[in-house]
Amino acid sequence: MKALPRILLLLACVAGASAQAATIEMNVNGLVCAFCAQGIEKQLRKFPATADVVVNLEQKLVAVALKDGQDIPDAELRRALTNAGYTVKAINRTETPIAELRERLKRGKP
Amino acid sequence: MSRWFIALGGTLAFAGSMGVMAKPIAFAGGYTVMAEYGAGTMEETQLFYAPRYDFSFGGGYLELNSDETTKTRYISYARLNYLVHRWNLDDAQGNLFVWGGLGSAAGDTFTGSVLTENAGAQADFETRRIYASFKTDLQRSSEFSHRIDTLQLGLAPYLHEYGGVATWFLVQAREYTGGIHRGAETALLVRLFKDGIWVEAGITNGGKLQAMAMFNF
Repeated sequence: MKALPRILLLLACVAGASAQAATIEMNVNGLVCAFCAQGIEKQLRKFPATADVVVNLEQKLVAVALKDGQDIPDAELRRALTNAGYTVKAINRTETPIAELRERLKRGKP
Repeated sequence: MSRWFIALGGTLAFAGSMGVMAKPIAFAGGYTVMAEYGAGTMEETQLFYAPRYDFSFGGGYLELNSDETTKTRYISYARLNYLVHRWNLDDAQGNLFVWGGLGSAAGDTFTGSVLTENAGAQADFETRRIYASFKTDLQRSSEFSHRIDTLQLGLAPYLHEYGGVATWFLVQAREYTGGIHRGAETALLVRLFKDGIWVEAGITNGGKLQAMAMFNF
């Protein structure tokens, strides 16, 4: 019986974590050259919360998969993209798994 | 031969093509290593580190061999590069870089070494399909003044994607001042890049090899 509050707390934490965005999608201006865009991946992978990064020139999209229960503030994302030499137009948090997003982009869909 | 080059260059320019020229600043925390073989007239190697996305510093070595006389120059220099402005547009990017530095030169028309001053600028514009750039680079001392002006126009035969191999076809026109080369030297180039590796090679209107390799990391 004593364990019940702990279990509830644990469940609340899990629920809270799963409510966190799985993927951050960013629309980026100036994304025309793969050679020049390498800096984006290098900057974003520096964040401890980053699990994976996807860059797509066709959709002008940069996506970051987050580790469970973690996030990266918008201001830090914008700073990272600026350091890579690009301008962020919009930031959206979604529940789309990065693998699904990667497949969708491979098929040429936004 | 040169008429053919001019015609092709004009066609590409008419098509709105612009090319992809090596940029002296990679990204914050990134290194750029570049080596160029310029048809036997110039050879240059450079290494730059960028502590910020708009600033880098490093050095280079430039060798000039005149194809008009026996004149040679061996120039080692330290240089600062600055991104004056970057235009990040929906489907394009434009950049304006300037740089300056100091160095030391030896040559066969004077004795010992002399202090050199380096200054230059580069403007470029690119989409995923077209590329254009113009670069001017001056090396000056009490014994000589040489400026190298380079124009590149490029066309991508397909739209490359991040992680894949990019291919560009380019026309390059280059002029040297100070008795290094008479008239404009033109070249047709193929450029390939993938991840942080960039190579390009081609042939000039004089039938000589023009090649460049660059690495960003």
